[in-house]
Amino acid sequence: MLSETAATNQTRTKGRPRNSESAAASLVDVLNLVRLGHATTRQELERVGEYGRAIVADRLATLKDLRLVHESATGIATGGRAPRLVQFASDRARLIVVTLDQSAVGVGLSDLHGILLSEHHEMIEITDQKATVDRICALINWMMTRQADAPDLWGISIAVPGPVLTDPDSQYLLETPDFLPNWDRSGLVETLIQRFQAPVWMRSNVETMTMGELHGGAGIGQQSMLFVKIGQRIGAGLVSNGHTYHGAAGAVGLIGHLPVTFNGSTGSLDAMAGAEMIKTRGFAAAQSGESAHLADTLARSGEISAIDVCQAAQVGDEVSAEIVAQSGRLIGGVVATLANMLNPQLIVLAGSIAQTNDILLASIRETVYGASHPLVTRDLRILRSQMSSSAALLGAAKTAAEALFEPTFLKDWITLGSPCLNPAFLQAQASLDAIKPQSDEGPPPPPEI
Amino acid sequence: MPVVGLGPHGERASPPERVTLLPQDIADARAKNLRVAIVMHTLESDWSRHLVQGVVGQLGECGAIVIDVVDCHFSPEAQIAALDRLRGEKPDAIISLPVDNTTVTEAHLAVSAAGIKLVLIDNAPTGMLPGKDYASLVSADNYGLGKIAAELLSDHLPSGAAVGLLAYDADFFASNEREIAFSQWMEINRLDVAVKTARFSSIDSAGPEAIRLIDDEADIAGLFVVWDTPCVEVIKAISARDKALPISTVDLGQEVITNLAKGGSVIGIAGQRPFQQGEAVAKTTITALLDRPCPDWVALPGLSVTRSNVIESYQYVWRKPAPRDILIGLDVLHSS
Repeated sequence: MLSETAATNQTRTKGRPRNSESAAASLVDVLNLVRLGHATTRQELERVGEYGRAIVADRLATLKDLRLVHESATGIATGGRAPRLVQFASDRARLIVVTLDQSAVGVGLSDLHGILLSEHHEMIEITDQKATVDRICALINWMMTRQADAPDLWGISIAVPGPVLTDPDSQYLLETPDFLPNWDRSGLVETLIQRFQAPVWMRSNVETMTMGELHGGAGIGQQSMLFVKIGQRIGAGLVSNGHTYHGAAGAVGLIGHLPVTFNGSTGSLDAMAGAEMIKTRGFAAAQSGESAHLADTLARSGEISAIDVCQAAQVGDEVSAEIVAQSGRLIGGVVATLANMLNPQLIVLAGSIAQTNDILLASIRETVYGASHPLVTRDLRILRSQMSSSAALLGAAKTAAEALFEPTFLKDWITLGSPCLNPAFLQAQASLDAIKPQSDEGPPPPPEI
Repeated sequence: MPVVGLGPHGERASPPERVTLLPQDIADARAKNLRVAIVMHTLESDWSRHLVQGVVGQLGECGAIVIDVVDCHFSPEAQIAALDRLRGEKPDAIISLPVDNTTVTEAHLAVSAAGIKLVLIDNAPTGMLPGKDYASLVSADNYGLGKIAAELLSDHLPSGAAVGLLAYDADFFASNEREIAFSQWMEINRLDVAVKTARFSSIDSAGPEAIRLIDDEADIAGLFVVWDTPCVEVIKAISARDKALPISTVDLGQEVITNLAKGGSVIGIAGQRPFQQGEAVAKTTITALLDRPCPDWVALPGLSVTRSNVIESYQYVWRKPAPRDILIGLDVLHSS
């Protein structure tokens, strides 16, 4: 969207009537040209934006007053005096990013470019919604109090373990979407707005991880990439022409619902190859004594997790290795279908199961290469993500940065100096304050996950 | 004791057994005539010295020569200079404990970019990724250590009391994890206890910060200091005020372990296993240098140490008998 703005400015011919020269609109244009690196000096702003010198001077003065740009550095001289560089003040405020998974939560802090500055991850049981919301708030508080100069908070972006269906015309969320059963009653978004007085955005964590991998991981510079997250649920994200694909309603990549068959039984890919299946089969192998390694783990800890099975496979337990390899073959079959359809340059495997295990990676690779057309696999690379949950945080940060500076929304708040002062947001916040928060009404029933 | 924390990017922990070296691995490593440098945040603490001993001994078994062991004195500038200098020495690997999360990132990235294997200890600067920017991170389960310290201190806190948390001001994975876990344990298990946090930016400032916190919060009935060296300063400062507060900390340094054994203000310690961690660091480094896949995060669980098990814990961590004054303090040796 923003790059389209810049592109429009670049192709505009001189003398053509400008409809963006009202102060707010040109302020938005100038800020985004600087922010996205399309123009780094006053001269470039005049040329790329097709604005007169006086307008550029005036808008930059306003943006400097708002502390959104600065000209403290000098560029390289090309004959004559070195130009002053116009730079976006990405430290003007901070963004909080959150990733919520079935068994873990991560909270991070980013600048306004969407670059991660700090992060923390811990285990959590998200079946207790109130405890989860409280924990997210506590970690955000901790993250903010760790900052020396109490920076302004301009937004909170959350990655969640389910599809997020939102109104495409909404600039930010005012209520919690039903991304998992009953989570619309959790009060997550409402609580965050009330406690931190900042806009909130939300995407599925598969989508944010795909975006994070594209901007900070193996996907850097890739035009087409398939991202597969393997955990309790199995989902996919897609990069096409260098951009993440959001789908018609944000429900892209729900491949875990596809039916697969193994040993005469048919079920969803989630049920037949996800973490729950690995855990169940591992537990059975431990109880029966089929795997001495898992039996020992069960005796010591009283339980078997999918991670235990993956780690046992990694250190040579044959039964565990076969459980994981079988999961990989089923996932590989589905991924091969996608690869034949989409012809990606790169497939990245991520999630807690892929992360702890090389056997799964090998099994998926073998299946995909075996079941795909030679033209599809000729230059195809299949890698394990190196980013873990940082991918979701980075993707959430990029989501927030894009939403915050989306021209329509930016125009609504830029002259006020902060998105949190936008009248529509303040009104929405007041409406929320007027009603009792849902999260104070006691914990809702646990979701059927 | 299982690892309860997650890695700096949310990774699940791998046990040290994942980097076990077989005789053939050691023979292969010996044939390579490897050179390795070690860059530590400090060499002043007992923990650091034990960890380096573990690294050096294990590397020696694999025929790898340690060409330098640098003490950065917690200074980012010193660490950047050391990494830049060592890069010129072209070692096969550098083992480093990054002193913070931001300023030393570029210097560490330059090591990897030069084709030198980089293995990190206890901290991974934000933005650096395992397998890409470094081979692996080896640390204690610092989240678990914070929980152990909270649990140990809780028994000494009266109902409705406040507890002081002396945290490190730098953005540092290990100390952040301990701080967060300590607070979370109290929030869940001691709803009656309020956690009051103060931060120190250097070892020397830990004592004055503790005094300021106690002066500001009169109801503080116990303290947690995120590691032993600043804890020693806190004990000195409080003693000078004739205050007696129960304290828990992390690391079995000589002074805090003696204090614990003699029934001083230290009532419990969440112990790391630096020697074993050092061996795991060395094995990870050799694994990486043999071009075999390394786990993203190798973590060692902590030990819960009280007066009741302090002697065996001392022997386990220090690899030598406990000193006579500790044995006498615990009434297991009666002759002076």
